[in-house]
Amino acid sequence: MGEIPEKRGGEAGSHLQRVSSTVGLPDQVGNVGRRTMEELAEDIVASHGKSQMSLGPLEKVYVFWLAGMSCDGCTVSVSGATEPALEDLLTGSLPGIPLVILHHYVLQLESGDHYMQSLLKAEQGLLDGPYVIAYEGSIPDENLSAEGEPFAGEGSLPLWAASDKRRRISTAEWVKRLAPGAAAMIAVGTCATWGGIPAAYGNVTGSMSVMDWLGADYRSALGLPVINIPGCAPVGDNFTDAVQAILLFLQGLGPLPEFDELGRPAWQFSDTVHRKCGRAGFYEEGTFAKEYGDKECLVEVGCWGPVVQCNITEKGAIAHMGGCMNAGGPCIGCTMPGFPDKFSPFYKAPPGSMISSYTSRVTGSIVRSLRRISQRERNREIRWHDTVPSGWAMHDGGTSFTHKILEFFYEAMQFQGAVPPERQPGKKFPQGHQSLPDRVYVEDYQVLPDERVKRDEKRP
Amino acid sequence: MCFKNLPIEFDAQGNAQLVGGVANPYAYTPREIKRDKLEELLARNGHIKDVSISPVTRVAGALSFHAVADLEKRKFLEANSVATIFRGYEVILKGRDPRDAIYISSRACGVCGGVHSTAACEAIEMAFGISPPPLGTVLRNIALSLDFLYDHPLHLFLLAGPDYSQVVVQATSPAMWEKAQVTDAPNAEIHQFKTIGDIMKGLNPLSGKLYLDGLKMTRTPREAYSVLFGKYPHPQTVVPGGMSSTVTITDFNETYTRLQKMIDWTKRMILLWDDLTEFFYDYNPEYKKVGARDMNMIDLGMWDDENSYDATYARCNDWGEARWATPGVVIDGKLVTTKLQQINLGLEEFVEHSYYENWSQNGVRFKTDPSGAPLSPNHPWNKETMPKPSKESWKDRYTWSTAPRWDRQVVEAGAYARIWTTAAAGKMPKNRFLESTGHSLKINMPKTMLPEMDFEWKIPEVWNAFERNRARAYCMGYNLMVAYSMVLKAFDYLRKGEDKVSTKFETPKGERIGVGFWGAGRGYLSHHLTLDKGVITNYQIVTPSTFNASPHDPFGNPGPYEEAVMNTPIIEDYSKPEEFTGVDMLRAIRSFDPCMPCTTHIYGGEREIVREVNTCACSAEG
Repeated sequence: MGEIPEKRGGEAGSHLQRVSSTVGLPDQVGNVGRRTMEELAEDIVASHGKSQMSLGPLEKVYVFWLAGMSCDGCTVSVSGATEPALEDLLTGSLPGIPLVILHHYVLQLESGDHYMQSLLKAEQGLLDGPYVIAYEGSIPDENLSAEGEPFAGEGSLPLWAASDKRRRISTAEWVKRLAPGAAAMIAVGTCATWGGIPAAYGNVTGSMSVMDWLGADYRSALGLPVINIPGCAPVGDNFTDAVQAILLFLQGLGPLPEFDELGRPAWQFSDTVHRKCGRAGFYEEGTFAKEYGDKECLVEVGCWGPVVQCNITEKGAIAHMGGCMNAGGPCIGCTMPGFPDKFSPFYKAPPGSMISSYTSRVTGSIVRSLRRISQRERNREIRWHDTVPSGWAMHDGGTSFTHKILEFFYEAMQFQGAVPPERQPGKKFPQGHQSLPDRVYVEDYQVLPDERVKRDEKRP
Repeated sequence: MCFKNLPIEFDAQGNAQLVGGVANPYAYTPREIKRDKLEELLARNGHIKDVSISPVTRVAGALSFHAVADLEKRKFLEANSVATIFRGYEVILKGRDPRDAIYISSRACGVCGGVHSTAACEAIEMAFGISPPPLGTVLRNIALSLDFLYDHPLHLFLLAGPDYSQVVVQATSPAMWEKAQVTDAPNAEIHQFKTIGDIMKGLNPLSGKLYLDGLKMTRTPREAYSVLFGKYPHPQTVVPGGMSSTVTITDFNETYTRLQKMIDWTKRMILLWDDLTEFFYDYNPEYKKVGARDMNMIDLGMWDDENSYDATYARCNDWGEARWATPGVVIDGKLVTTKLQQINLGLEEFVEHSYYENWSQNGVRFKTDPSGAPLSPNHPWNKETMPKPSKESWKDRYTWSTAPRWDRQVVEAGAYARIWTTAAAGKMPKNRFLESTGHSLKINMPKTMLPEMDFEWKIPEVWNAFERNRARAYCMGYNLMVAYSMVLKAFDYLRKGEDKVSTKFETPKGERIGVGFWGAGRGYLSHHLTLDKGVITNYQIVTPSTFNASPHDPFGNPGPYEEAVMNTPIIEDYSKPEEFTGVDMLRAIRSFDPCMPCTTHIYGGEREIVREVNTCACSAEG
């Protein structure tokens, strides 16, 4: 690794012997390596030696990442993915998974027309593999910009022409041109899936989601409607996880990935974020954060988690770490079609929480106190009957009579129909916490220091 | 006296006022861009090449670049920076509850995780009249230093790095590649790359060790960031008056161990970029001119001192100068001010060559700032921009970016501007690891696997693409030690039992004005807002890349990318014009770390696009 092989091709595959794509083109502007990123990726696969792709029918898949009204946050998120990581997909390092040739403006070695020509090849069906579109950002209504330059443009055509002969192409147009031939159309992030902030009230660009732009009748070359991976920004791993699931299925290795009625990967988005939230237990016990920074459930300081489909509290934000509510951030519904307007104003308790949090306060206050009783006994070793030999000031004077009664019945229920462990009828543990070492070693050895001092004082 | 062009003077007490006796103090006559000669040359000469790069890749967002190159004389005759996206974020904010501003404006850019939310937050704090408790400010500083610990490696190894890799050097300058393979890297013992050729191999996209490790290293700070602030980008824990993170010892411990992982690596990477830069300079001193431009910079500083920051405009000069990055403007290599108020007063935005209409017919909303100092009608608090999609014309309008200027001079923003103003000002709070000397920034990095090491970033004698990249490598050390110091401070506050991270707030109903002076990975970031009756009445964002990617201004000055390309000699090898790749100009552009999502959300006017039948024959002009 690290070095580009001097000679390309060899046994790894005949496609590697084709001439460099740059030969015969009118100019080299922007082609700083005189070799495209795609060729670099194939060089790496060739340097692996024997093809690893024999586990399925696909050798490679092109992914064209297009951005419309985007902040690049989805790109940034995906660059943080680790399961699988971007670099594993792009270097063909995952056995059974085809080499993913990512065509992305943030990563590509080449610029300008050398970068854009692959999009034209895809449109004309000249690629040597299927292609997928990943679209980030919402799609503006370019009718509103018809008299001028598009709101969101990428590249200009015709290629290789002087700047005054060119027309800047909107990403909306690229989507229309490339979507029919794409094996799959993946909308990444809330702007692309549901319109997001560029499509919020007050926008002047007429922005909309990819599925709105393509219409309900759209089907990809494989017969799929738009696949939606929402989130602002999405969990990067949700994208690579979905890509891996789809590719493994196409290779005949993985199970059929299921999508819900809005095209979301069902295994990622069918539960609400509250169900697996680290603070859901506080909600259940009816305790709520009163100000920012408190550790309890955040519903009353503006968290919409109980009604939001998202997996960030379970999956984490990156490498299974973080997640909004885990860190203390109230959910503002950024994975949902209604984001942002149906969750605004932020930092205000959702109206629905008035009933639900009141209910959980009532039930929680009962459940909570009962749990504390059970917890108290479960916080004691089986040897501790009255006092506790802790140096941490847990001398609570032992257990009360009521507690003992409650615990008696509790234990009866606990072992109903079962045999209590290691407790044969008639045999009981010795009282108190004194155990074997006391008799083996000198008496003072296990006594607390202050007690030892007192004993010393008593001695003649 | 920091202003040369604006008619503002200061009295004995330092209060700003307009110079007397000037009828229209801020008036100007726009200068036209003339390119008749150029068009003639283009039509006649085969070696004059119209270079159109659309898109420029390995930058964040949508950037195109147009240039005219004289391939015989090996220089550029024209350069135009073109932002090709517009989203209209501020108009979405207008008329909304101000509580929406933080999370909506955050989405202006997802490349830096939480810089916009924090700038919005500080603007709201000023307008609401609240400020965070000490640990709230410290947490904010941790977030915003972790942010750049992801951002700078991304730039150095994934975006700009490949331009210095074996693949590119071998293709565009084979002789240099030969030399690099036999040139020992002076700091090889520490960074473990024996020759310069080894470093270049390491930078190869997808396969190089530096490339792949750089990508992995962008994740480490994001892990800590996610633990403390929920997610990256767009953290979910920024609230007016502090943060909403529930802090535990574990959170800080996890951050601490991730910083430790970065210390070793950063030590190596700083020396590696030193070696690479010196090699290019030695190989051909012409490289010192790649991306060169005047030493004009702007920065607002960041990382507040938790005991000074009170979010008031009246005291902004004081808390500004107490920041861990000192605000400042550098003109011709000299620091002319470190006062936030003066930086704010000098700020103007122009739209003569952008797809917007001028807002002057709507009158001037604020003649003065809250302390009575004069404000330009072109200041963000007064700006009302009307987007007007028009056809691209190099003589007229050609970008969605506006042209922000300071004192009507072209200034650039960047992480390097931040380290520069901080080093030159000598005002950094006293601390164990960082020291500003007035001409350099000293960075002490504690022992890890590598021994304790001292670094010193000195204000450079030349200013170009290589120095921008090198400064950014030093900025990794700078940010890292800010983050480290802040984690130690956080432990300290926890130890003292001061664990409050937020302040209660209420939305005021009266008219309020606020500004967030902050910084992004690429430097300067300001959010200007006005509120009335509990809703946002105007919202303006000025970002670093708005400065850097700006088009010509009405005074005839090109924007920083444009100027840097115009100053760039064409050094690459080619025997025929068709072989020209433009790598030198791309190195110049990428050294700014362009970030277009930030640049082009700018909008603050009526909720309608200005539409008119466009009759200009610009398609015939080029």
